[in-house]
Amino acid sequence: MKKTFYLFNPGRMSRQDNTLKYTAYDEDGADGQTRFLPIEDVADLYVFGSLDANSALYNFLGKHGVSVHFFDYYEHYTGSFMAKEYLLAGKLQVAQTGHYTSPKKRLVLARKLVEGAAFNLLKNLRYYQSRGRQVGEEIAQIELYVAVLPHATSVAEIMGYEGNIRQTYYRCYEQLVSVPGFGFGTRSTQPPQNELNALLSFGNMLCYAACLSQIYHTQLNPTISFLHEPGTRRFSLALDLAEIFKPLLVDRTIFRLLNKKEIQPRDFVRELDGCLLKETGRKTFVRVFEERLKETIQHRRLNRAVSYQHLIKLECYKLTKHLLSIEEFQPFKAWW
Amino acid sequence: MYIILVYDVKQQRVGRMLKLCRRYLHWIQNSVFEGEISEVKLAELLSKARALLDEEEDSVILFKSRTQQWLEKQVLGRERSRLDNIL
Repeated sequence: MKKTFYLFNPGRMSRQDNTLKYTAYDEDGADGQTRFLPIEDVADLYVFGSLDANSALYNFLGKHGVSVHFFDYYEHYTGSFMAKEYLLAGKLQVAQTGHYTSPKKRLVLARKLVEGAAFNLLKNLRYYQSRGRQVGEEIAQIELYVAVLPHATSVAEIMGYEGNIRQTYYRCYEQLVSVPGFGFGTRSTQPPQNELNALLSFGNMLCYAACLSQIYHTQLNPTISFLHEPGTRRFSLALDLAEIFKPLLVDRTIFRLLNKKEIQPRDFVRELDGCLLKETGRKTFVRVFEERLKETIQHRRLNRAVSYQHLIKLECYKLTKHLLSIEEFQPFKAWW
Repeated sequence: MYIILVYDVKQQRVGRMLKLCRRYLHWIQNSVFEGEISEVKLAELLSKARALLDEEEDSVILFKSRTQQWLEKQVLGRERSRLDNIL
């Protein structure tokens, strides 16, 4: 399976001998070690540090279908270089647009997406409840929100419930992390106000990019979404899909990192009225997140081991089937 | 499939062989490569290598392993190149 490469150190990526050459810079800006990355083994690149590159490189990456995702110093996703679409399907495009423009059809999908997200996040809470954490009240509250979902009459309303569910969920966050020194308060972004918020922002962002990468390998158009408003600024279909996978990929990674003390207060830096992950923390996070994406589960219907990364793609396929009216979309629900 | 590929080719062909292998596998030391590769990509690599080789003089040796897990790797001295994906 092709690998994702994460670039943290500043350096220069160039095309040489029909493959990729990466030269890291050391502190003085002089050339450090070079390494060749086999182009046939590169799935995509995540750029966190500063990267020098020229158009010849991007042409080359484009030809090999490698996308590059960029993140700024403050850990926000800033954009992607996407290779030319190679799986074009006009019929699906039309169907996807149709499902967006028809409020009735859109509502169905939006509801399913939130249902999936809520189910998976309840799964997290129940797991910790069985371990003796006091989250019963929040679980009951979220269940109430889920129960009213079928009666929602507009996507905006569903988005509202989604917001409420998340808010209730985040209230438990502090409880689930058994390490002192990590307060949560409320969810804050741009910039995150404390350590947990910083981890969440960073994780969500990785999750969006992971979803986008998978969407790219299907015929779906990443800009037309159903739950979030499509079109502007972002590849919003990735946001839709990420809802389902955030509890499994991001939250569980965070709980593991903190409860096993793999990330500690010293991995953060407080500055400019916000809290950010230091490079050491980011690297640890990325490593564990990557492990999680590669982790496999036994898939019931396919009857074989499937990685979380592939699950995202399967979700895209299910969506495709729904759009083409082959089979109704059922969001992924963790069954273990 | 996880493979280790080593080659021994005449000097005039070494450069071309190196460049070819770099596109598919991770270089670990002179004329030794390793990495995860699919059946199809391996067939592609081997057919390109075959075109390059003089079968009287040169050789390419492959060690195959089902996954990286079954490979125990030990390094003495300086490791020339790391293989991780966080740069």
